[in-house]
Amino acid sequence: MAVEGRSVALPVRKVIIHPVVLFNIVDNYERRNDNNKRVIGTLMGRYDKGTVYVTESFAVPHQETEEEVSMDMEYAMRIGELQKKVNTSMYTVGWYSSGIIINEYSSLIHAFYKCQCPTPVHLTVDTQLKEQKMKINTHISSQIGVKNGTEGCIFTPVSHTITGAEADQVSLKFFQGLRGNKKTPNFNDQEQIITSCSEMIAQINIVMGHVKKVLSGEAPSDKELGRQLMEVVQSIPNLDGDTITNMLNSHMQDLLAVEYLTYLTRQQLAISARINQIL
Amino acid sequence: MATSSNAQLISTIQQVEITSQVIMKITRHCHHELEKQLDPHVNGVLLGLINENKHVLEVTHCFPLMNSDTDEGMEINREYMLEMERSLRQVNIDYQQVGFYQSTYLNTHCDRNFLDSVFDYLEEMNEAIALIYDPLKTKLGNLSIRAFKLSAPAFKLYKEDKEFTAEMLRENSLTYENLFVEIPVVIKNSSLTNVLLCELDSVQDNTSFFTLPTSSYLEKSMQLLLGGLDEINQDLQKINNHQRNVYKQQTAIMKYIQDQKEKNDARVKDGLKPLPEEDVSKIFKDFAPVGRLESLLSSNRIASHCDMIEDHVRSGIGKLYLADSFMS
Repeated sequence: MAVEGRSVALPVRKVIIHPVVLFNIVDNYERRNDNNKRVIGTLMGRYDKGTVYVTESFAVPHQETEEEVSMDMEYAMRIGELQKKVNTSMYTVGWYSSGIIINEYSSLIHAFYKCQCPTPVHLTVDTQLKEQKMKINTHISSQIGVKNGTEGCIFTPVSHTITGAEADQVSLKFFQGLRGNKKTPNFNDQEQIITSCSEMIAQINIVMGHVKKVLSGEAPSDKELGRQLMEVVQSIPNLDGDTITNMLNSHMQDLLAVEYLTYLTRQQLAISARINQIL
Repeated sequence: MATSSNAQLISTIQQVEITSQVIMKITRHCHHELEKQLDPHVNGVLLGLINENKHVLEVTHCFPLMNSDTDEGMEINREYMLEMERSLRQVNIDYQQVGFYQSTYLNTHCDRNFLDSVFDYLEEMNEAIALIYDPLKTKLGNLSIRAFKLSAPAFKLYKEDKEFTAEMLRENSLTYENLFVEIPVVIKNSSLTNVLLCELDSVQDNTSFFTLPTSSYLEKSMQLLLGGLDEINQDLQKINNHQRNVYKQQTAIMKYIQDQKEKNDARVKDGLKPLPEEDVSKIFKDFAPVGRLESLLSSNRIASHCDMIEDHVRSGIGKLYLADSFMS
């Protein structure tokens, strides 16, 4: 892409973070060296019309003392190249650090990333849970000060969303279902159907409760909401009972036939294996 | 003996613990490739450590590999792998290779290549596992990650000679069922990751597993099943041919011996010395026994297709009843 490597500042209005990046950062923080208070690393992804997609990240070793900060820039470049080998459409888009503090070192590191991409994004994740939660912030920097005089930069926050593809949502949902206890990721479909059924029933109950309240005048009515509800109701296909029953029945028969055949196949396999053992 | 100690070591792992970070990385890698091309074959390296006391294998990190079939590509991949491991070591990530991950399309992964790579990893490391991720299942709303390793008898056979003859299979009591051993997988997150998960609670609900069982999915699986059966049939034919040939040869040998005997008897009657008995095996060459590996693999594949279809059918029936009651 032509954008890469240019120093033309691109407007960044929105940052979209893939959840895996956050997992990486947390893991990185848990594996930090004893004397390091925070960890930093490179964010990779792509630009698209004012939006930055952050899809990958990796840790960069660094040392920070009261007086100075040093980071292994060669390492950052090398890993960046390695990552690009596997995924050619990925570029350096910024950097992350754990903790919410932005200090003079941050601007130094930021300056380094500015050499690699026009508008680096700075992502901070509060892994120390200072505010009783894991705060996630994204910033971009803008130049301030007099030209050829004292220059500096300020970090201004940008809005961000954390989202992944559908598959990532599925896995996220699964992990959230764990809530600390261990579970195998192959639990059967039926269980899942049951859980989502009960979830759906709960949701329908909430909606019903609201509708009843509106009808009885307890809650204010909302035109937009009403329209959306109407759409939901209309999305149910209007079929008469017999057709549906017929459709479902024929489908069911198909399924049962297939099940029977697979069962037969499996038995045959088992028999052949046994015969092989005996002969 | 080295083999027997290996065989013992293989069976020590009883559980695989995997962090959600690794699963996210695998799913992301796989679905990223799916967007670009239809060939969903992705693989990568798993890093982690082995807890020998608890017989647990912990997978804590992974990185993707490039798709390559050429030797040159393999070489690049190998270099890349080494470099990557070295670099990850610098940031305190477990650098021990514990296996590999691979995507699958309707459980078709179980072929010769797969067996070869499982074996290669096992030879390098006793406890190596293969993680199989099914993207299609995820599309239908259920996460599917399974861990496999080569069973001890299979490893032994593979190591000793690459021909899986019927006798060898019998001796080692190896069937399609115990070619690979599945190890239970559990997800283990650190407390901080759990905090992060709570923070990410705003993800939207997914309803994709309410999707009614489609005939296309069923059709595809049935096709694969039929393909597997065809393969087995072909193998059977080979074995039958082989048996017929062996039988023919045996009758020929019998006839030869008979002839020889008659000739000798005639010579003895005539007062001549009997001809020395010739080694029959020199005249008649043995047929090479038919390798059973392919049929073993096809059977394994068929069994997994059966599993898959049964799973699908069961949940499908549930969904149909659900739809029925919903509509009425």
